[in-house]
Amino acid sequence: MDESTSMTTLPPPDATIVPAAGTVGATKVYGEGENEVRALDGVTVQFARGVFTAIMGPSGSGKSTLMHCQAGLDRLTDGQVFIGDVDLSTLNDKDLTRLRRDKVGFIFQAFNLVPTLTASENITLPMALAGRKPDQTWLDGVIDTVGLRNRLTHRPSELSGGQQQRVAVARALASRPEIVFADEPTGNLDSRSGAEVLGFMRRAVTDFGQTIVMVTHDPGAASYADHVVFLNDGRIVDEMAAPTPQKVLERLAHFGE
Amino acid sequence: MLRIALKTTLAQKRRLIGTALSVVIGIAFLAGTFVFTDTIKRTFDTLFTEVYATTDAYVRSNQSIDAGFAGTQRGRIDDSVIDEVAAVDGVDEVAGEIFGFARILGKDGKPLGQENGAPTAAQSVSNEFLQPWDFTEGRAPTGPDEVALDRSSFKSGDFELGDQVTVLGQTGSRTYTLVGAARFAGADSPGGATFALFDLPTAQEFLNAGTKVDGVLAASTDGLDEDELVARVKAEIPSADSVEVLTGTAIAEESASAIKDGLSFFNTFLLVFAGIALFVSSFIIYNTFSIIVAQRTRENALLRAVGASRNQITATLLVEALIVGVIASLLGFLGGIVTAQALEALLAAVGIDIPAGGLVLSSRTLVVSLIVGVGVTVVASLAPAFRAAKVPPVAAMRDVAIERRDRTKSRLVAGLLVGSIGAALTVLGLTGQVAFLGLGIPLLFIGVFVLGPLLARPVGRFLGAPLPKVKGMTGTLARENAVRNPKRTARTAAALMVGVALVTGITVLAASVKDSIREIIGDQFTGDFVVNTNTFGFGGLSPQLASDLDELDEVGAAAGVQIGFALVDGDEEVLSVVDPGPANTVFDLQYVAGDGDIGEDEIALSESQAGSSDVTVGDTMSLRMLDGLERTVTVRGIYANDELAGPFTVSKELYRQSGTDEFDFAVFVQSAEGVSEDQARAAMEPITDEYANAELLSRSEYVDEQAAQVNQFVNLVYGLLALAVVIAVFGIANTLSLSVFERTRELGLLRAVGMTRAQVRSTVRWESVITALLGAIQGVVIGIFLGYAVIIALRDEGLNTFTLPVTSLVVVLALAVVAGVLAAVRPARRAARLDVLEAIATGE
Repeated sequence: MDESTSMTTLPPPDATIVPAAGTVGATKVYGEGENEVRALDGVTVQFARGVFTAIMGPSGSGKSTLMHCQAGLDRLTDGQVFIGDVDLSTLNDKDLTRLRRDKVGFIFQAFNLVPTLTASENITLPMALAGRKPDQTWLDGVIDTVGLRNRLTHRPSELSGGQQQRVAVARALASRPEIVFADEPTGNLDSRSGAEVLGFMRRAVTDFGQTIVMVTHDPGAASYADHVVFLNDGRIVDEMAAPTPQKVLERLAHFGE
Repeated sequence: MLRIALKTTLAQKRRLIGTALSVVIGIAFLAGTFVFTDTIKRTFDTLFTEVYATTDAYVRSNQSIDAGFAGTQRGRIDDSVIDEVAAVDGVDEVAGEIFGFARILGKDGKPLGQENGAPTAAQSVSNEFLQPWDFTEGRAPTGPDEVALDRSSFKSGDFELGDQVTVLGQTGSRTYTLVGAARFAGADSPGGATFALFDLPTAQEFLNAGTKVDGVLAASTDGLDEDELVARVKAEIPSADSVEVLTGTAIAEESASAIKDGLSFFNTFLLVFAGIALFVSSFIIYNTFSIIVAQRTRENALLRAVGASRNQITATLLVEALIVGVIASLLGFLGGIVTAQALEALLAAVGIDIPAGGLVLSSRTLVVSLIVGVGVTVVASLAPAFRAAKVPPVAAMRDVAIERRDRTKSRLVAGLLVGSIGAALTVLGLTGQVAFLGLGIPLLFIGVFVLGPLLARPVGRFLGAPLPKVKGMTGTLARENAVRNPKRTARTAAALMVGVALVTGITVLAASVKDSIREIIGDQFTGDFVVNTNTFGFGGLSPQLASDLDELDEVGAAAGVQIGFALVDGDEEVLSVVDPGPANTVFDLQYVAGDGDIGEDEIALSESQAGSSDVTVGDTMSLRMLDGLERTVTVRGIYANDELAGPFTVSKELYRQSGTDEFDFAVFVQSAEGVSEDQARAAMEPITDEYANAELLSRSEYVDEQAAQVNQFVNLVYGLLALAVVIAVFGIANTLSLSVFERTRELGLLRAVGMTRAQVRSTVRWESVITALLGAIQGVVIGIFLGYAVIIALRDEGLNTFTLPVTSLVVVLALAVVAGVLAAVRPARRAARLDVLEAIATGE
């Protein structure tokens, strides 16, 4: 078990291409003195474009904290975080919000949709907030990919859990963001719906070149990714390429030792 | 369970504070009203007790007429009674007194004192022992050239002893030498009234009273009991048949109660508005507790699951309501003290100086505050409390959507039914039993309130329709949020509805009254000018003015009109007193029988009065004026237009015989043929300028001034209704805060996917505006109905136009938008400040 604090993703063909997102020495500390908790302890990581990365680790490992800070939902205590070549610490709240709106896609575990809007309105929500019209061809493609064509006028309360997550996936992709962050997207779904949603996410990366970073505890979900990053105690402790459910499960088991 | 209730209350302090606030405001107004009127009542009790402290017996004429709003009019007695009383065994001090209208002119020629406020008078001072004047400067006046003033006028007129002071009265302006200034029972001036003090003969002369006095005071300095003295006076004086004799205590009580009666009316007036404020508060409490219950579904279900009974759940909520009610009532009571002080300061600012004394905080006020405050809170929370108990225990385990039967039909029926009953009772109340209004109007509001949720969605959608186009997604979200919970939106809007309805009603009424006034004056007054003074029933213009104007070449006719009081066929009535010649030129009364050439022993009646008195031209009626003589008068004519003239008209020739003061309240003038307005004015001004309280107005200026008086009253009502509106705005803010709290997750999501803080604030703001507009529109509709109903009810009183002041109503709606924006300020800020991460956390 080697604990290195610096990892890179699978080498892209050209190392000078700017990664979709990344952190340098990311540190997040709560409390002070004896009660200090280091949720992130100097994490340096890069997420290359067109790659599906899973972040895994036991409870309290900092995986959600890493994702929140990377996505611009939380601020670091120390270190830098980038989306594209933009250093998020230089942005005020309004610009950060705009960045999330225009460059980032989100899929949460639950409460993904605004209950008063239809599926269609939920999908185009970020663009509507920006006052922009979506690229209709792209949008149609996304909608058809997730298979929601005949559900567009329904409200979330009229959709099943799986359908709601599909709408969330569609929304995350609809604005062709630089990067999509998914936080336990299949956590509340049954295995069939979950597999469906993961399949769409996989296709988004493979067929459409999107970049996805997914936090999960489920080895089955991780197996859809190209690459897994393992965290423990706020540090990156391992990585794995071409994950399978078996390999991931074994690796996770070692955290107990 | 009590402990649970207490703990829950404490935990939700913030939520309940907003609710309690509305009750606090309403109770503060209620308590303040009581404290204020109690204080004033005691002040006047004390005042009059002090004034008549040394008086044992008071002798006055037994001829009186109760003239309603103008008070009791009383005749005068001959001053020979003074000697009669002095001769009675046991009487050591005696004084006659006379009292009448006068205006003291300041050095700039303008009259001192208020026109429409406390009286401006002349009074005699003749006995230091008996009379309450305490001379702080100089001395009491003696002789025909001397005058003294109340200390307040002395100071405000910037006078010095020895100055020449001009006093205006029935006989014109006179000048006297100032010899003193006095305090009245300890105050520089009692309640802002001004007094010109003379010795008795001078006062009689000035007031044109001949040998008459208003009363005779008597006292024993030997310790004789006042009842005993009164008995002796009654027994011994020759004039006993034409006078009545009261004890000093009795006259003090009577004087005080005259004022207290007026105060009771004012008290009731203010209490009505306190009641309105509390009515609005009840809507807010109902709404807030409904939301709290909805948010506590899980908790309550859990309690039920572990064995709490339905009644225990209900009781918990009621106990919370009780606690809120008690605290709010107590705070409201304290707030009432502040309110009372504010009211006192307000009166002082308009010149009415109440003699100082502490505020009267009676236990009645505290008890009423508690009962009303707790009552309103608990009653309003009854329905939500019972609803809380209906939660099925299984709701603790899973998110079960509470089965709500579609109650649309029963809601529609119930709402229409209650509303119609309310409307019917209101109309009934306006045509007779005022008590029905107290039941009908609230029922009407409740009926519309019940219908509210049915209206909320369609109307809300309609109102919010332009938002998506103007504000994009922010607008869409605002609109959808406003209608997603129609019940809640309707309940929140309802609080504003009440205030807006009353404002609209008063606005419609005022506009119609003003148009009515214009129309009546337009039809019935054919002259060109009015010389106006704003007194009514006490004093006014010297009749000399009218005759001086009439003599001008430029003037065709000048008719001075006086207000008279008499018993006609035994009933106490108010009469119009005129010179028939000029009056018939200047007014068009539409005589339907006989004519208006009323002689010395004749009378003219309005058509409706002739109907109720069952007389026609030629019949006789009995007339008794303040001199006590029974006269017979013949009906000369019957007229149709009675709005200006009233039910009875007599000639000045006749009324003069009663011996009462003669004052015109206004002179109505018609220019001579061929004379332009400027010419006429130029000729009249030198004469009207001589009379310091006369105001020369053109016809249109006069109409505008009458309209302005309506505006004054309306503005007062607006001020009082503002309270209800403020409470409603607080209510909207409160509900919005609770809704924002509920939508934390949703807001977190929106912020995560890119909604800026400004956009969040905007969404909350426009949701508030839609809600406010919803309430305002309902209010405007009800208000128009109320205004219309009142107008129909008052048609007999001369109100015969229905005006819809569209501009004003648009302003009302615009103000509702402003109210919505204001209510949203804090909730919007709180929503925007939500920590995104906390909001979207699903726990890890």
